This record gives sequence, structure tokens and C-alpha cells, in this order.
Amino acid sequence: MNPTYVGVEFTRHIRDGYNLFFSLLMPSAMYLLFGNIPSYGEEVLGLGNVKFYIMASMAAYGAAISTVAIAGTVATESMQGWGRQIALTRMSPATFVSSKMFVATTIAAISAALVYALGAATGATTTEWWLWIAAFGITMVGSLMFACYGIGVGMLFKSESALGLASGLMVFFAFFGNVFMPLSGMMLDIARFTPMYGYVALVRFLQLQDVPAETGFAPDALWIPVTNVVLWAAFFAIFALIATRKARARQ
Amino acid sequence: MKTLNRTDAVTLTGLHKTFTTPRTKVEAVKGIDLTIHTGQIVALLGPNGAGKTTTVDMILGLTAPTAGTAQVLGLDPHKAVSSGRVSAVLQTGGLLRDMTVYETIKVIASMHQVHGRIDEVMERTGLTPIAKRRVGKCSGGEQQRIKFALALLPNPDVLILDEPTAGMDVMARREFWNTMRNEAIDGRTIIFATHYLEEAQNFAERTVLISRGTVVADGATEQLRQMISGRKVVATMPDARSIDQLMSEEAKPEIEERSGMRVTFRCQDSDGLARELLTRYGAYDLEISAPSLEDAFVQLTEDAS
Repeated sequence: MNPTYVGVEFTRHIRDGYNLFFSLLMPSAMYLLFGNIPSYGEEVLGLGNVKFYIMASMAAYGAAISTVAIAGTVATESMQGWGRQIALTRMSPATFVSSKMFVATTIAAISAALVYALGAATGATTTEWWLWIAAFGITMVGSLMFACYGIGVGMLFKSESALGLASGLMVFFAFFGNVFMPLSGMMLDIARFTPMYGYVALVRFLQLQDVPAETGFAPDALWIPVTNVVLWAAFFAIFALIATRKARARQ
Repeated sequence: MKTLNRTDAVTLTGLHKTFTTPRTKVEAVKGIDLTIHTGQIVALLGPNGAGKTTTVDMILGLTAPTAGTAQVLGLDPHKAVSSGRVSAVLQTGGLLRDMTVYETIKVIASMHQVHGRIDEVMERTGLTPIAKRRVGKCSGGEQQRIKFALALLPNPDVLILDEPTAGMDVMARREFWNTMRNEAIDGRTIIFATHYLEEAQNFAERTVLISRGTVVADGATEQLRQMISGRKVVATMPDARSIDQLMSEEAKPEIEERSGMRVTFRCQDSDGLARELLTRYGAYDLEISAPSLEDAFVQLTEDAS
């Protein structure tokens, strides 16, 4: 890792108001809007309360969208010739990738941590303290699959507006992935096939595992979200690989 | 080689590069053999699409050759690059618009592990006054100077410039070459690709002409300039008889093209021919032009084949 480079990358990210708003402030704002409603927020849900559930969901969304945004810049920057410039230095490609990964995971972690801090301050609770750490950990690891998605879109369309589109699609995936509001019936059946469904279901799984089946919040059997995540992660990885190859061939 | 212990800066042997896309196959470089000694200033001159950038990319290890080898200072290009002994000003992109000038230099310096050279390089390339400006707000000439500064950071023995003045106005271009001259005094090997004959003429001691992926001529710049020194004279003649009369003279020019009374002549002494045409033959709408580099390349390639 190159500390100077990482430092400048953080500065750039913070200076970019658009990115800052979408990846750091929006998830927190959405938690405050949807999660902090007194009428149902305090109700017990599994090992925690409703606030904890909404907090974990919004943090997962924030982490994923931060990862997409930063991973996407890897692609657009390399297309703009910055990759060639870096190739002329003694820094190895591995150092480049690990520096970017570090920035992406740190921003994702900050985004999620902000929501968790707000949650803790506004009454999100669990009966088990380790649930905080477990949910946060699953969020961080799971968000990595969206890095491939960001790189793929960036490489395929080579432009910053494409990244805007990629982030926009994430909102759609989130709605359709049962992230923002509980879906039911046919919508929920379709949701099981969308990319964010498995990820957020895994984040919630530990909290909801003992919720009785007759309530609307009972989790799917574990294999459903796991299969969803594995398949989508594999799909995004292949997509990123093919898009990268295609972009290289055109150079 | 003049002395035995002198290493060559760049050695290209049977260099080929073919780009294959699903529909087409483009042979960008079709067999280049070239040796450049250390301390030389060499221009790679050629029209757009001649294969200059592809050749430069192979010297820098950015593109792998389809066949043949490229060596820099006796080393594999990747080794030469990672040891900081060769660096380059690339033609396309290379800078991120939202970074400041200082950030850009600082980041690349950190990648070369040469933090100590930042101030000196910025001073030498005149970037100190605009250090805090965003790259996107810099003019084309300023951006080119930033790239030049990045190339100087590792203090390279071999410096490669790919179309370094593209997009610069005349003033910026002159300023850039003045800065370059100071760098050349240190005994660096400098190789630059250009499609401006004038730049090769003013700056390079040796010019290598590249056209359609091969070297069509290689030698002292002055010598090459002579080869393409003819002039074109275009004029409208009053009648067909005057053309016949002109062509019957002893020092007759060569007719390159004729449509009606509008004739394109090719000759060495364009002033003399113009004087004759205007005073003795009553020609009008006269134009004199130097052959474009593209014309010259077509000429040279035809001569070669």
C-alpha cells in the first residue's frame, strides 16, 4: 500500500460532494427518516428491535453503494490513461489494487459506522452485543461483491456518467432487493432473484433467525440468501473480467 | 558504436505489433529495427497512424510486441521502467482532472519513491505558481508541462515524449522546447515522436521517418529535410499553348496534376518558376506550397517499394 496515494484518494473522495452525499450522508439520512419513527421503532424484532433492523439495512445499502462508487473509479481512471501513467512508475499493479481496496473498504466502513452510531444514539438495541459486530462484519464482506459490479460497468462504458447510472441502478436493486421496505407476495418472490436480496438477508439473518414463521419478518431458509449471494458474486466477477478484457482489447 | 563500453539506449529488433479485433486485423508495426545510442536526441517522425505511439508503447513495456524484442539500456522494458531509468510523456490522457497539480506530482513521486525531487522538478517545469490549481482547470500547455514534470521525477537516463506538443499553441510550444533543451544538456537520451517536421528539424540530431509501420528513412535530420524539400507551384495558365511552351523549355518543371488550365508543378526552385509564370506566361491565381509531410511519406514509401 502507498500511504501518499491513499491519502490523496481520501482527499479526492471527500472533495467530491456528489460521492460524499450519496455514499456517506444519504444512508444516515435514510435511517433517520425511516428508522426513527416512534410508532414501531421500539418494537422487538428477533434478537433486536425494529430500529436495529432498519439501521443494519441502511448501513448495508450505504456500504454497497460506496464500494460501487470507488471500484468504478478504478475503471474510469484506467480508461482515462491514469493507469498508463501509473504503469510507468515502480509501483506494482498489486499495490495499486490494494490501495484502492483499502480506500473503498474504509469509506464503506465509515458510511456503515455512521449509520450504526446514529442507530446506537437513537435507540437501536439488541439482546446480544455480538450482533452489532456480526452484522457489521457481514455488511463489510458482502459489500465487496459490488466492487466487481462497479468495475464491470466502469470498464464497459468508460465514463463517469455510466458510474452515475450504476449507482442509480443500486437504488433500484435496493428497492427490489427488500432492502428499504418489506416486500410481500409476488414482489418478494421476484426479489429473491435480485442482487441485493441475498446480501441484505444475510446481514439480517442473525437478528431474525428465531422469528416465528407466521410473522412477516421470518427469514428465508439460509440456503436461499447464500445461493443468491454466491451466484450474483460469481456473475459480477465474470462480468468485471469480461468487461475488463473487452476494454483492454479496444485500447 | 563509437566506444565499446557504451550501452545503447534503445534497441529494437524485428519489432512487430498486430492488433486483432473480432472483425479486423491491423498491423500497426511491421518490422522495425532500430538502435539509438545514449545521449542522442532522436525524432520519430511520421504522419498520424504511422505506428509511432505503438512503437513507443512497446519501448515502455505498455504493449507486448507480437514478434521481435525491445530493450532499453540493455534491459527488459519493464525492468527499465521500474528502476526509473526510462520514463515518458504519454500522448493520451494520463492525468485526473479533479486532482491538483501538486497532488498529481506528489502521488507519482511517491510511486517512484522520490519525494525529495518534487520541489526541484516543479521549479524546473515552472509549475510552482500553479501548484494548487486543479488539473482540469489547466490549459493544454500546462497539462503537458505537468506530464513532463511527472516524466522527470525519476531522473531518467532515457526520456521518451509521444507528441509532446499536441494541442499547444505556438507560444506554449516554443516554451516547451526551451525547457526541453535544458534537460538535454544533462546528457539524457531523448526520443520524441512527432508529426511536425519543424520540431524534428529544430531539436533532433537524428530523425527516423516512420510510415505505415516501417522505417522508411533514417539519418541526420538535415539530410532528410533535403529529401523532401521540393515545392509545389499551382497556377492557372491563360491557354493550352502557354503550357506547351513552358514544357518545351530546357529547365522545365514536372507537372504533377492538371485539370483544365489549372496546373500543379513540382520543382526545386519555386521562386524562379513563379517569376517565369507570372512575368512571361501571364499565369494567375498562383500558389506556392511545401509538400506536406504526408505527401513526402507517400513519396518515400513509393520509392522504397
